[in-house]
Amino acid sequence: MGSALTLLAGLDPAGLPQQLVNGVLLGGIYALLALGYTMVYGVLRLINFAHGEVFMLGAYTSLFVSWALGFSPEAMKSGSHQSNPMNLVIMILVSMTVCALVGVVIELFAYRPMRGSSRIASLITAIGVSLLLQYGGQLFLPTSPPPSISDKVNPYSGSWEIPLKSADASLVAALAKARTEAKESQAEIDRQHINRFDTNLPPAQAALITTVETSERQVHDLEAKINNSSVKINLRYGQLIMLGSTIVLMLLLRHLVLKTPIGRAMRAVSHDFDSASLMGVNVNQIVTLTFMIGSALAGAGAMMYATLGDSPALNTFYGSLPGVKAFVAAVLGGIGNIPGAVLGGLLMGVAENLVVWAGYSQYKDAVAFVILIAVLLLKPGGIMGSSKVEKV
Amino acid sequence: MSTILQLTDATIKFGGLTAVNKVSFNLQKGDLFGLIGPNGAGKTTCFNLITGVYKPTSGSIVFNGKEISGTPSNKIASLGICRTFQNIRLFPALSVLENVVVGAYLRHKTGLGSALAYLPSAIAETEALRAEAFALLQVVDLDDVAHVRSADLPYGKQRRLEIARAMATQPSLLLLDEPAAGMNPQEKDDLARVVRRIRDEFEKTVLLIEHDMRFVMGLCERIVVLDHGEEIAQGPPEAIRSNPKVIEAYLGEAV
Amino acid sequence: MFYLKRFGWVILAILLCVGFESVVTSGKNFDYVYRMCVLAGLYVTLAVSLNLINGITGQFSIGHAAFYQVGAYITGFFAATGYKGFASNSLVQQLSHIGVNATWTVQGLWLVMMVLAGAAGAAVAGFVVGLPSLRLKGDYLAIVTLGFGEIIRIVCQNQPALGGAYGMKIEPRINSMWFVWLLAILCIAVCRNLLKTAHGLPFLAVREDEVASSAMGVDVTKVKVTAFVIGAAFAGAAGALLGHFEGFVSPPMFKMEVSFMVLTMVVLGGTGSITGSTVGALLLFGIPEWLRQIEDSHHNPILVSAGSVLGFAIMLVAAVAYVRHLIHHFHGEKKAKTQRIVGTFAAALVAQFFLGMLLNLVPALRDKSWPYADLRWAIFAVTLIVLMLLRPQGMFAHHEFSVARFFKRPKEAAA
Repeated sequence: MGSALTLLAGLDPAGLPQQLVNGVLLGGIYALLALGYTMVYGVLRLINFAHGEVFMLGAYTSLFVSWALGFSPEAMKSGSHQSNPMNLVIMILVSMTVCALVGVVIELFAYRPMRGSSRIASLITAIGVSLLLQYGGQLFLPTSPPPSISDKVNPYSGSWEIPLKSADASLVAALAKARTEAKESQAEIDRQHINRFDTNLPPAQAALITTVETSERQVHDLEAKINNSSVKINLRYGQLIMLGSTIVLMLLLRHLVLKTPIGRAMRAVSHDFDSASLMGVNVNQIVTLTFMIGSALAGAGAMMYATLGDSPALNTFYGSLPGVKAFVAAVLGGIGNIPGAVLGGLLMGVAENLVVWAGYSQYKDAVAFVILIAVLLLKPGGIMGSSKVEKV
Repeated sequence: MSTILQLTDATIKFGGLTAVNKVSFNLQKGDLFGLIGPNGAGKTTCFNLITGVYKPTSGSIVFNGKEISGTPSNKIASLGICRTFQNIRLFPALSVLENVVVGAYLRHKTGLGSALAYLPSAIAETEALRAEAFALLQVVDLDDVAHVRSADLPYGKQRRLEIARAMATQPSLLLLDEPAAGMNPQEKDDLARVVRRIRDEFEKTVLLIEHDMRFVMGLCERIVVLDHGEEIAQGPPEAIRSNPKVIEAYLGEAV
Repeated sequence: MFYLKRFGWVILAILLCVGFESVVTSGKNFDYVYRMCVLAGLYVTLAVSLNLINGITGQFSIGHAAFYQVGAYITGFFAATGYKGFASNSLVQQLSHIGVNATWTVQGLWLVMMVLAGAAGAAVAGFVVGLPSLRLKGDYLAIVTLGFGEIIRIVCQNQPALGGAYGMKIEPRINSMWFVWLLAILCIAVCRNLLKTAHGLPFLAVREDEVASSAMGVDVTKVKVTAFVIGAAFAGAAGALLGHFEGFVSPPMFKMEVSFMVLTMVVLGGTGSITGSTVGALLLFGIPEWLRQIEDSHHNPILVSAGSVLGFAIMLVAAVAYVRHLIHHFHGEKKAKTQRIVGTFAAALVAQFFLGMLLNLVPALRDKSWPYADLRWAIFAVTLIVLMLLRPQGMFAHHEFSVARFFKRPKEAAA
């Protein structure tokens, strides 16, 4: 109990809202990736281990497009680049297209022939594809030094501050007073042309300088105090765009799955593969489409994460960690369940940032699994999944 | 005669659905008892309650004077109740003989350690269990295919193998879930002979679910009829045949 | 008589292992080969023990590296805290005069103790990881075992007492090749014994059908946990040997990829087949190492141009597609089918050579080239995919290798 209290006392409550927001933003990316896992699992009951690598290819595609648009390292040095919102649109579209193609090719050449084989054999194939993209990619993609997409691509570099709790009025008043005092004394000093660093000053002037110094220190202290007592959220415009696009993509997906004939066919296939095929659903087409959509979402996520998020530099293993976490998110929400994937992704992102906030950032990659194990033991089908009773 | 199994108001609900509602019947030692009813009447669920796959929501199931509701399946099997499955559940990759040995394994005496060390005791026990299993295969006439993968057997033989596997646990009560399903008349007659032999020669009590009226009426001495989870009739075959409630359940209400 | 015979087998196994080691050490510059042989032996142990969990009992575990790590870290911890005390213990000092060489005896005793400690620790971990298998099945269980592995690795990585991210130095380094192989043989023997007696059947039955097993009186819970405990114990023992052989342990040695590698060995060999797992382990460990070795007579790595790689890839895709077609649609004699499959691959091999030459006429494809060492993981991945496409049930399927199988096909069931 005592240690728990000290632990709580060590936390910084003012940082919490910011971390929660960061968590939601990161969670949005995980959710986009998790959607791909969950959709593919839904129709094929296959863990698409190569999905993280599709994400990696999406990030590289965005990098190449940004180079083509004039943000290559050489161009950056000469300063001949031009920011344009259209660049972002082009990058995300190309990334989504390329990823969709990659997804379809992977399905066609590696997964389709494995249909009807044992689950574990398909899983090994998926691991094989993942390894091939990671290590084969090393041969063709630039990896050293690890490139990253220039910040300059994003034309909206500012940020938006949302004050949640303003500082104490008395503090603010005191600050204003100290500031005026410092300003007046400084003005007086300037008027008398006193050299602040002259050691041989008459006492009256020396006192004036002491006043200035004291009030300056006061201003500094008060500013720090106000900073600590006020709670605010700092949202970069880039992150806002990221969040907005994520939501738009998810709504589009929702519309597609729930309101269109294709979506109905998808749900049918996911419900019962064989019956759907007997009922005249073109199963192959639906599977291809599922891979296309899932991979395109990964591509969008990759572009946004690499351009607008706090992304590390690119290498061919770029996708493996987000991939695993997104997969965990999908399982957490109930694999095969689309809203579940979104919920799982958000939970995962928030949990990760909460761990960072609590000062255990070295454990942030482990927390995903801890939550997963806890949830699965309580509810074996995931949060929104249904655990079916086996028919005997 | 002594009561071997007694169901008293056994009930199970899945969410809002009451699959079995206050079913009560007694089985005497040596009975050849039939459980019939239209599709969805709750017959298999009844079996699942008795064998511990599900726990009854209320009511009691007493086997040999011991309350068994809520006991895990494997414990119930070791107490002496074994079953077959409606949709055959063999161990497909194992051979016919191995399937039966799994049933007989219940009575193993050597520890796992002696098996891992391959001690003579474990080897001897394995031999003994295999011999026992082979003898049972002879009873159900499957000894010629003892080393074939069980998944490769034709359907009728798979059904017989399931009976042999259940017999291998040496149960005092044997539950057969639609043992004659999908068989031709010749196979059904063979099966009826096997079941009667099991009761007479091995002195087992048999409870069976079956849809084929001719088969049930010819084989069973007492019958319980379920409809919509409820018991509607109980008695010897002749009485069941003429019971208006049973006829209604099967053929619908008279117009 | 029985025990005399058994004793004879044990002696034979030890002699085989010691003989193998002396053959390896008799060569010139044997350091590298020695190391490879040790690691291969450890991988065989890992694969065969995972096969017990995954192949024989059917529990989808993909976090085997965790048990390996537990064993290695337990050894590391004890070596750092207890080895000096152990070596200077008076009883040990007295015992040390028994053997040929005092150091050997002390280290040998210590190693046996550490292997047992590693096995015990990993068995406890196996018990803990096995418990979720009672509630979870298939992919869900898989991801939980993977998660356990990652948690253990990340926790070790952040424990200063366990060396943190840098890992721990383990003193003394012990070259224990024959011991490693003895462990591998023991692991194989234990699994084989299990399957030879009736005690193995409940394990197989749980893999085939849990509900039916339970109805036949099999304690499914106990069987699953037992499989996890035994499998984990062997992996832990292997970890202990790894720690003392390498002289250090660090978290990256036990990444997810190690688990995947071991899983792949099992599946490639054929899940459930002990011989399959053994051969799978040797092949999958051997192929990348062998590719790293390829060099010309002047010890320069041989370069492969992008054109050759492309040519190879194209012909491989074509050959695999055609062979798949043959497998599914050729209804002639088995011999003719085999001949055609082999012929296809031979033709593809020749064709890829010429296609490569042709493609190399393009300057861009000729000038870009890599040594085999850089290509080895890509080749590994391709091998994996191709094998799965052509033989998803693994090399040995469910069967054990036996000479008799070559001459007599298993009887088909009479319809």
